[in-house]
Amino acid sequence: MRKLSGLLAAMALSVASLAVAAPTGTFRQAHEVASGNASDVDPISKGRVFAVTEKIMNRLVRPGLDGKPAPDLALSWSANPAGTEWTFKLREGVKFHNGKAFSATDAVYSLKRVQDPKIDSPARSTIKMIDKIEVVDAKTVKFSLSEPYADFPLVFTDYRLMMIPDGSGDTIKTTGIGTGPFKLEKFDAQGTSVLVANMDYFDGPPGVAKMEIIGIPDAQARFQALLGKQIDMLPSGITPQEKTLLSRSSSFTIQDVPTGNWRGFVFRTDLKPWDDVRVRRAIRLAADRKGILALAAGGQGAIGCDTPVGPTDQYRWDKTCNQDIAKAKALLAEAGYPNGLDFEVFVSTVEGVWPAMAATLQQQVAPAGFRIKIVQVPTDGYWNEVWMKKPVSMTRWNQRPADAILNEAYRGGGKWNESYFKDAKFDAMLDDARKELNFDKRRAKYIEAQEYLWENGGTLIGFHATLSVATTARVKNLDPVENFTIRWNKITVD
Amino acid sequence: MLRMVLQRLMLGLVTVALVSLIIFAGVELLPGDACTAVLQRDAHGQRLINCRKELGLDRPAYVRYATWAAGAVRGEFGASANSDTRISELVGDRVKNSLLLGICALAAGLPLAFLFGILAALKRDKALDLVVSGLAISAMTIPEFVSATMLILVFSGWLGWLPGIVLTSANAPVAKFFPEIILPVVVLSMVMTAHILRTVRSSMIEVLDSDYVRMATLKGVPYRSMILRHVLPNALLPAINVVALTVAWLLGGVVVIETVFNYPGLGRLMVSAISDRDLALVQAIALIVASVYVVVNLTADLLTLVANPRLRTAMARHA
Repeated sequence: MRKLSGLLAAMALSVASLAVAAPTGTFRQAHEVASGNASDVDPISKGRVFAVTEKIMNRLVRPGLDGKPAPDLALSWSANPAGTEWTFKLREGVKFHNGKAFSATDAVYSLKRVQDPKIDSPARSTIKMIDKIEVVDAKTVKFSLSEPYADFPLVFTDYRLMMIPDGSGDTIKTTGIGTGPFKLEKFDAQGTSVLVANMDYFDGPPGVAKMEIIGIPDAQARFQALLGKQIDMLPSGITPQEKTLLSRSSSFTIQDVPTGNWRGFVFRTDLKPWDDVRVRRAIRLAADRKGILALAAGGQGAIGCDTPVGPTDQYRWDKTCNQDIAKAKALLAEAGYPNGLDFEVFVSTVEGVWPAMAATLQQQVAPAGFRIKIVQVPTDGYWNEVWMKKPVSMTRWNQRPADAILNEAYRGGGKWNESYFKDAKFDAMLDDARKELNFDKRRAKYIEAQEYLWENGGTLIGFHATLSVATTARVKNLDPVENFTIRWNKITVD
Repeated sequence: MLRMVLQRLMLGLVTVALVSLIIFAGVELLPGDACTAVLQRDAHGQRLINCRKELGLDRPAYVRYATWAAGAVRGEFGASANSDTRISELVGDRVKNSLLLGICALAAGLPLAFLFGILAALKRDKALDLVVSGLAISAMTIPEFVSATMLILVFSGWLGWLPGIVLTSANAPVAKFFPEIILPVVVLSMVMTAHILRTVRSSMIEVLDSDYVRMATLKGVPYRSMILRHVLPNALLPAINVVALTVAWLLGGVVVIETVFNYPGLGRLMVSAISDRDLALVQAIALIVASVYVVVNLTADLLTLVANPRLRTAMARHA
């Protein structure tokens, strides 16, 4: 009898644990303390700590694992035939960590705050196409745009456009009140920030009970902490060397995550000799991207034809372009450089792979007549003294949706148009694609724009990086995607 | 005596002022400023101009230095350049943590240094001396970041006995730092012990070779009482100054160790302040470290005076 009741109790327990798997364990992740003492948890400030905000807040729309927009706090959306008016239906029954219900007022407040010129958020330009934001009813928001924008929902997948409670702008920096799967218990950027499970999360309680986000500024120290299993996950990927070391041990799990983060060379198309499209085409034809990827990044990445659109993006022009020395040489001669061309490439270690990329390119393009002099500059002040200033420099971009990256980096007159590319025909292609509400036709147009860039652009893209994400083996159910796409509520620890 | 102390104090103040000037010039010479460090890619155009205006970086360097120096004299370091936190608040816990690290290292290292320094001198050129001196030289010559990484690899990675990296918050109570503090203390005391040990050993040998010790030996003074009464007091005096220098080095030079172990002390704060171009904070820390140097050295000089009758009477004769 005792046996039976014991068995029954055990069964009841296991059934109960299946029904409501209570959050258990602590997950520890390091972050880089990139903003030092200016760090905070206001999602749109300059000092925001992503490693915290991505776990305590939600967007209206999240990037789906398939590269398409997926519902987050907005459940569905629709546009008028012109693509200028968008209506978003919000999720019912969502509560902020302070117990307040999430409604259209909060969504409108959060987005108007991003638009506020006084706050001057770096995220402001991402929603500059929005003219008017209106509350239709408690669960409906309407956006009026200044121009047709077929992929408008993708805009809200930006990891900074988080929803915060109405009127919380002055306090959000420290309170971090959101709707996310974890609640902020203590924020300490230089030390350990503590997050606890939000039992009222709309998708059910998360898998782990507690998260500790630990500030470790030194990269070497972070890796040592992972090796000693003091943390479960680094802020981002590991290097190929570190991968070799970790893959020998069964205590760690390594996932390869293709990303839209790219590394490349920028040639200013407004300066001699790069203002001649033939010279630009020649240097890009002379490069062997497979070699650059192999030597600079240990083969960890994806190569294409200088398209900035990532390998997982739904609009990616998926083609590989091979090295063609003879054609490069001919183009160079045609442009008036039969004896070759000398130029300088400015390199720093802001990005670890840049020096190796430059050295590889130097060797690859020499047979075509390009004589590269590599100029090493300090990392400090690289972005404001070298990048966009020198005729040829190195660049890196983080993943953005196709429309965002094509407009930000290549539209004539753009603030971050690093190659000073100015081409009315190209700009018109982007406008056309934006207006097209039919997905297949829109896709064809974006691909056409990428092909046009391959013929005319001033950017040589070495590769799109593949991140190797290492965790301790006790971490389970981690989505094999970039941090801002991971569903943090799904992970569990043993 | 008093005159000398005052003289030393004045010299110390001048040193501190010079240090602040040098640090200011050094940070000024680095490319980039607080705004480019915070804004990174956004450091262009109006946003950069606004930021510089907000932080007062648009004023000429000498004006900024003068304003800062005037505040520092009143003990007012102001707010950190890129956050609203008061500097005194930021620095307080860090000073406490660096002190904790330093005191632990001293407590572990000093007895060892003196014990083995004396033993090595007494057993000069014997096996013990060779082993001890050899270890000391390797502890001194292997850079801290190498020995630190090795120790982390062995004790944290392979054996799993000790935590490798310090994850405790800066404002945590002292007790929370154990056992994480053990590895940083070991690395720090290794270098320190080696330096002091070698000084103790060589000054012991010098005294052992001196005429008066030989005389004492010839007169038949028992070995034990000769060492205790004649050799040790004379040999250990020079060690005071070395210990003082080492203590000062502990506070300033632990930058590498604190960074490698992620220890939330003054050194790590200094590194992050420099990379943030948080000039106000860098200045404040430099000033603290320089002041500690001056105070510790002054103390050492006074201690030597107290302990050494020859110096005392020489001073009195001069005065």
